[in-house]
Amino acid sequence: MKKNNIIKLILIIVVVALLVVLPLVIKNDSTINLVILVLLYILLASSWNILGGYTGQTNLGHAAFFGVGSLTTRLLWVNGVPFLLSFLAGGVVAVILALIIGAPAFKLRGVYFAIGTLALAQMLNLTVGNILPEMSYNPDLANYQLLPRYYLFLGLTLITILTAAILVKSRIGLGMMAVREGEDAAESLGISALKHKLIALSISAFFAGMAGAAFAYYHVSFYYYMPFGSEWTFDPMMMAYIGGTGTIIGPIIGAVFFVLLKQLLVWNVGEYHLIIFGTLFILIVLFLPGGLVEIWQKFRTFLTKKTKRRKKVLLKATIQNEDGIQRE
Amino acid sequence: MQLLTVEKLCKSFGGLKAINNLDFHVNEGEIVGIIGPNGSGKTTSLNLLTGFLKPNSGRINFRGEEIGGLPRHIVCQKGIARTFQLCKPFMDFTAMQNVMVARAYGRKPSANLHIAEKESIDILEQVGLGSKAGILVKDLRVMERKRLELARALATKPYLLLLDELMAGLNLTEADEACKLINQIRESNITIIMVEHIVKAVTCVSDRIIVFNMGEKIAEGQPEEIVHNPKVIEVYLGKSHA
Ligand SMILES: Nc1ncnc2c1ncn2[C@@H]1O[C@H](COP(=O)(O)OP(=O)(O)O)[C@@H](O)[C@H]1O
Ligand SMILES: [Mg+2]
Repeated sequence: MKKNNIIKLILIIVVVALLVVLPLVIKNDSTINLVILVLLYILLASSWNILGGYTGQTNLGHAAFFGVGSLTTRLLWVNGVPFLLSFLAGGVVAVILALIIGAPAFKLRGVYFAIGTLALAQMLNLTVGNILPEMSYNPDLANYQLLPRYYLFLGLTLITILTAAILVKSRIGLGMMAVREGEDAAESLGISALKHKLIALSISAFFAGMAGAAFAYYHVSFYYYMPFGSEWTFDPMMMAYIGGTGTIIGPIIGAVFFVLLKQLLVWNVGEYHLIIFGTLFILIVLFLPGGLVEIWQKFRTFLTKKTKRRKKVLLKATIQNEDGIQRE
Repeated sequence: MQLLTVEKLCKSFGGLKAINNLDFHVNEGEIVGIIGPNGSGKTTSLNLLTGFLKPNSGRINFRGEEIGGLPRHIVCQKGIARTFQLCKPFMDFTAMQNVMVARAYGRKPSANLHIAEKESIDILEQVGLGSKAGILVKDLRVMERKRLELARALATKPYLLLLDELMAGLNLTEADEACKLINQIRESNITIIMVEHIVKAVTCVSDRIIVFNMGEKIAEGQPEEIVHNPKVIEVYLGKSHA
């Protein structure tokens, strides 16, 4: 293993270990809730990124998959279906919904998928609000505990990130990225763009649905239509862009940054935080298309260039010396 | 033996007959040049052969099988590779990653990416890009991008390679290098169709030349015959020169 990879591995182990012991050490509910929120956003941003960042297909209705996951799980659970079954059903139903919208929209190519997903989420938001206008209460309310919720989110987030990381190193992942880079060229080289988009969409929707399922387990009371709201699409999307799309670490950085900044801003500027995020998002899309990750990469290449230049200077110096010796 | 047989192929865009009753064939191991003025249907014919366009009518037989209208990626997997008139490299990929995609997905693909990577580096060396494997496409020059486009097509292990105006925009030395490269590809038992706008670009390597004008084949023959054919001269230089 390379030195870089070992450092990475150690860092990952340390962070995961810290997250595992965190709720045991800090027994403050509001802190644990805040970390759960970060984990939820990482889940949504990372799952969005599999399709949006790695496959280049703009999904403007991620909330539809999150929402349908939460709805499925909560409804089944409330109606007495065993929790584990209800929980897994959230992800499965999200995949089914994704294929129903994705197959025809991808066949048409172009902007149909973006428009289709946007419309789907809005439609579901309204429909669910009309059919199920009542508040949904957690069936586990009597003996509600935060700790299992926390670990469910942590486990799910780790599985999502790991899946994404393995996926993008695989042959299918290479095909997905080729489709993003150029559909015509990819197809001329033997890749079925439709198949790769549908695979990416299914995995993306599955984890969004599972995030919804975890949300249904976690939340004490919410309106059924609430998780279909457009903020569940656009916030994670902004996080992916701010951190850096098409990278594993980008959505994670974006989510942490977003939640922390939001906390700070809400304390200081109240309602105006939306304007600040919007502006930040636009600035990043315009001037830093690689997101915050790009700053780090630029910094690193800058450093390596500098050391290279120094080596060159040293090399020149020695050559001049040799010349000098010859001339003497 | 005929590798590709095209019969009565037609394609129109609205009222425009871009390809009209086209008949031609390509033998195994041949290099066939297709020339013709701008808009004569050269690129359209390649698009029809590779599934990028569906023919209105006619037959395309490749290795004993009808392939007209098959999906693009299937055509590639059956052994027809193409380059694009305007290069379409994967910009954010390195040269090696570009080729690796083709090796992992074309005909007889290497599903194991480590093997695909090794094979890709061999192919890059074959087209003279061995030292550029780790370079991002953004940082490659025009000729290098054309070589990469070629490397990628070769990496799909085609029986038949279709080149769309590969020579366009190259200076004399570069065109010479490209000719050498094409001859070298033929040595590895790959049949080639070369589409060019400029007559000279194909005469140096082609065994046979087909001339298009307004969607129809107007002449076919050895390079020497073609450059002296009055119909061809008329198409290229106007009536007064014929
Ligand atoms: N996708 C398309 N839609 C409409 N017209 C097209 C399309 N592709 C090509 N054409 C038309 O078909 C004719 C042949 O074009 P093309 O095959 O690109 O010519 P060439 O490659 O010989 O320069 C041109 O008149 C062109 O405008
Ligand atoms: Mg053309």
